[in-house]
Amino acid sequence: MEWKGSGEMPAKQYEILALIMRYWFVLLILYIFVRSLFSTVRYLSSVKATAQESTGNIPFILVLFALTAFILLSLKDELNVLALLMGILVCSTFLFQYLFLCYLFKGMDRYLLLMVDTLCIVGFIMLQRLQPDLAFRQVEWFGLGSIFLLLTVLYIKFFKYWDKLNYPLMVISIGVLVLTLAIGKEMGGAKNWIQVWKYNLQPSEFVKIILVFVLSADLKTKKSRVERLPILLFTAIIILLVVLQKDLGAAFLYFCLFVFLYYIATSDLFIVAGASLMASIGAVISYYLFGHVRTRIAAWRNPWADVENRGYQIAQSLIAIASGGWIGLGLGLGSPYVIPASKTDFIFAAICEEMGILTGISIIGLYLMIMARGVAIALKAKRPGDTLLAMGATISLAVQSFTIIGGVIKLIPLTGVTMPFVSYGGSSMLVSWGLLGIIQGIAIKNAGGNQDDPEQQRSEQEKGYHGSEED
Amino acid sequence: MILNNNVPNRKKGTMDQRKIKRNTIGVFLVLMALYLSLIAYFCYAVLFYGSRWFADSYNTRVKLDEKNPQVIPGTIMDRNGVVLAETKEELIKDPATGKIEKYYLRVYHDSAASVAHVVGFNHSKYGRMGVEAFYIYYLMGYNNSLLEKIYQKAFLPQERGNDVVLTIDFRIQDYVSQLMRKQGKKGSVVLLNPKTGEILTMVSYPTFNPNNMESVDDDSLVNRATQGLYPPGSIFKVVTAAAAMENLEDIRQRKFNCNGAVEFDGARIQCYKGEAHGELDLAQAMAVSCNTTFANLGVEIGWKNLLRTGKKFGFNEDFLFSDIRMKPSSLHLNYKTSKQEMAWTAIGQGRVLVTPLHMAMIAAAIANNGVMMEPKLLYRVVGRNGSIQKQMEPGGYKKVVEEEVAGALKNMMVKVVLEGTGRQAQSDKITIAGKTGTAEEGSAGQPNKNLAWFVGFAPVDNPSLAIAVLLEDVGQGETGGTQAAPLARKVLEKAIELGY
Repeated sequence: MEWKGSGEMPAKQYEILALIMRYWFVLLILYIFVRSLFSTVRYLSSVKATAQESTGNIPFILVLFALTAFILLSLKDELNVLALLMGILVCSTFLFQYLFLCYLFKGMDRYLLLMVDTLCIVGFIMLQRLQPDLAFRQVEWFGLGSIFLLLTVLYIKFFKYWDKLNYPLMVISIGVLVLTLAIGKEMGGAKNWIQVWKYNLQPSEFVKIILVFVLSADLKTKKSRVERLPILLFTAIIILLVVLQKDLGAAFLYFCLFVFLYYIATSDLFIVAGASLMASIGAVISYYLFGHVRTRIAAWRNPWADVENRGYQIAQSLIAIASGGWIGLGLGLGSPYVIPASKTDFIFAAICEEMGILTGISIIGLYLMIMARGVAIALKAKRPGDTLLAMGATISLAVQSFTIIGGVIKLIPLTGVTMPFVSYGGSSMLVSWGLLGIIQGIAIKNAGGNQDDPEQQRSEQEKGYHGSEED
Repeated sequence: MILNNNVPNRKKGTMDQRKIKRNTIGVFLVLMALYLSLIAYFCYAVLFYGSRWFADSYNTRVKLDEKNPQVIPGTIMDRNGVVLAETKEELIKDPATGKIEKYYLRVYHDSAASVAHVVGFNHSKYGRMGVEAFYIYYLMGYNNSLLEKIYQKAFLPQERGNDVVLTIDFRIQDYVSQLMRKQGKKGSVVLLNPKTGEILTMVSYPTFNPNNMESVDDDSLVNRATQGLYPPGSIFKVVTAAAAMENLEDIRQRKFNCNGAVEFDGARIQCYKGEAHGELDLAQAMAVSCNTTFANLGVEIGWKNLLRTGKKFGFNEDFLFSDIRMKPSSLHLNYKTSKQEMAWTAIGQGRVLVTPLHMAMIAAAIANNGVMMEPKLLYRVVGRNGSIQKQMEPGGYKKVVEEEVAGALKNMMVKVVLEGTGRQAQSDKITIAGKTGTAEEGSAGQPNKNLAWFVGFAPVDNPSLAIAVLLEDVGQGETGGTQAAPLARKVLEKAIELGY
C-alpha cells in the first residue's frame, strides 16, 4: 500500500486550523454553486437572458477560495513558500485567463467559463495536497488548455469549411488508434497511451473531439441511410479499436456521442435502436471474452466480496467518501493516498474525503449546469450544424463526468475515464478545454450574429421572440 | 424554452432545425435525469450506507496505532458498567533489541470469550470485528463536536475516543455462555426486550478469546446470532399461521384432519414420526406442530400471500439497523414456486433461511402486540467528562401483524408450552410461551445434522423478554422441544431472577 507523504503527522496547530477552515471551503463552494444555479435557471427559463450576464463577485470568491486553500496547505509542515507561490500562480493564471477571454470574445458565456474554472481550481488544490509537482504541471496544462480553447473558438468562428475535412479526419483518427494499438504503452490496465517526446498522450481523448466534428459535419446535411454508411462504419471501427485497447470508458463515450447525436439530427429511431442492440450484444460478448470486463462487473455488484483484490478500488473510494462526512476531514487531514489512482480517476473520492460530500454534490451540480448551459447554447444556435456541434461537446463532457462519478460512487460499473477539468492529465485537460471551446464558440456565434450572412440577418429580423412554443 | 421555431431552412439539404431542437430537448431531459439520479443515489448511499462503509475493517484511517496512536479508543462496557474492552498502556520489551517500549493495547475482560462475538476485537493484524468495528466512529471520537476536537488537539497529549455502553447484561451473557459450553453444541442464544428492542444477551458458540488472537480458528469467529443463516423448521409455522389468519377468513373455526402424511406432486410430507394427529384446529395444530396441516395451509395460502406476510416479518429485507449488522433472512418464493415447494416452505423446510437474531425479533414482535422494535445494542456513548453524547432510544421498526392476530399467535404459543411440543420449557417460576422447531440441514443421508430451535417470550401476561435459541447438530431423536426448550427456560428464569 502506498503511504507516501502521510508518514509524518501534521502539526496540531495545522490540524486545528484545517478543522475550522473546512467550513469556510464548503461555504465558498456552496456560494458559487448556488449563484450559478440561480443564473442557470434564469438563463434557461428566459429567452431574453444572454450569456453575458454579469458574474458579480464570483471570480473574487473563487480567488479567495484558492488563495486560502493554498495558504492553508503551505502551513502544513513548516512554512512552504512554494505552495504559497503556487496559490498566487493559480489565482493569477485564472484571473488572466478569465478576464482576457471575456475581453476578447463578447459573447462568451461567463458563467460557463467560471464553473469550469471552479472545477479546475478544486482539482489544483487537491493535486497540491496530493503531489505538488503534479499540481504545477496541471496549471501548465490549464494554460495550454485555455490556448486550445482560444484556437477552437477561432476555428469555429472563422473557419467555415470544416466539414470538408471529414474524410482526412476519419483517416487520421483510425490511424492514430491503430498506431496506439501497435506501439502503445499499457498503463492501469488499458493500452491507450502513446509516448510523444517526453509526454504520454492518450489518443482516444483526441479522437473524441474529432468525432464530435466529424459527426456533426456529416449529420447536418440531409442524406439517405445508405449515404450515412461511411460515418456508421467509422464509428463502429473506432469503437472496436478502443475496445481492443481495453479502454471501455472511451468506447462507452463514443457510443453515447454517436447515438445521441444521430438521434438529434435524424430522429431515426431504427438506426439508434439497431446501434444500441448491437452495442448490447457487443457488451455481452465482451463480458464473456475479456476478463477485465468481468472483473469490473463483479467489483461493481459487490465490492465487499473481494475487497483485497477486485473490489479494492471501489471499496476504498466508498470508505474515503464515508470517512469525510458532509464537510470533510479537513484539507490535509485525510488519507487519500489509500485510494488507488487518487490523482486521476478517483480524485472525486479524495475531494469528498477532505472537502466533504457537500463539495462533492456541488461538483456534480456544476457538471449538471455546464451541461444545461451547453444545451441552452445549442438551442440558441441558428444552424443545424452549430446545434449539433454544441450538443456533441456537451454530451461528451456530460457523459464522461457522469461515467466517472457514477463509477466512483458505485452507481455504475467503473470505467477508466478521467474527470473532466479535475483529474490530473494533459490529454484530458486539453481535450476538455477544446470541447468547452466548441460550446463557447457557438455561444459567441449566437451572440455576435454573422455579418456576412444576409440570410441569417433576415431571419433574425423576422424572428421576434416566440420562445415557449414547444413544437 | 429557447426555441427559434421560425428559422427557415436556408439551404436545401440541411436538416430540419426545428426537429433537431426538439430532439435536443429530449436528450437534455435524458442527461438531466441521469444527473439527478446520480445526485439522488449519492445522497441515498451516503445516508444509508455511509456509517457501514466507515466502519469497514479496511478503513485504515481509524486503525489502532499501537505504538504512536493519535487517538486512543474508548472503553466498551456492559449496561451495568462492567468493562469489556479497554485500551491499556503497556511496557513491552522488544525481543530483538531488548529495548523497552510503550505500547497501547486493546485488553479484554477476563471472561471475554463469553461476549467475544458482540464486542469483537481491534487487532493490528487481524483487523476489526463486532462492536469494535461497528462503533469505531464513537470509539475513535469521530462524533465529537468541533470544539471538543479542538480542545483535545490543543490541550491533551493524545486525543481520546468516547466510551461505549452496551445494552448487554454481562451476568446473563456469561451464564448463557457457560450453559452452552456445558452442552457443547454449536449454536446461538439471543435474548431481547420486546418493548424496547434492547439486546440483553447475544451468545454464539463456539467462541474465541480476543486476548489471544493467534490461536483462533475461523469457525469460532462467525457470529452465529447475526451472520448464521439456518432453516427455521417448525418455528416458521408462526409466520405461516399469521399468513393464514390474514388471508383465510374462516380459519379460526376450521377443523383440519391429520392422518400423518400428505402428498404433493409425489413428494410426501410427514408429521413427526409419522404420527396422525386426527382432527384439530389451528391452535392445536400449532401446539403439536402438525406438518400436514401447515403444509396444506401453505398451499392454500399461496406464494403471494405467504411472501407478503413474510416480508412484513422482515424476510428478504436488507436490515440497515443503526446499531447492528445482520445478514438478511431469505424467503424464496415466486410465481414459479411449485405446490410441493410451497408445502415445504410453510413448515420452514423450503428455501427459507433465517438468523437467530431475526427469529428473536419475530418472537418479540408477537409478544409486543405485533410491533417489531429495532434491535438496539448501543445503550449510550459517554464522552471525556462523563457527558452522555448519545442515549439509546427505542424505535419501532415496523408493524408486523395486527394486534388481534398477534394476540391469537400469543395464545397459540402459550398452548405449545402448556400442552404441546414445548412442554419442557414450562417453569414453576414464570409463565413462558413459545414454539419449538427441529430443522433438517444438509443432505437427507445425514440424520444427525438436525437443528433444534426454540423461540418464545415471557412472562405471558406482560412480556418483557423474548428469546431465540438455536442448537446445531443435535443427535437423532432429539428435537427443539428436548434440547432448545429447557435451555430457553433456564435463560428466561435467570433473567427474571435478575429483575428483567
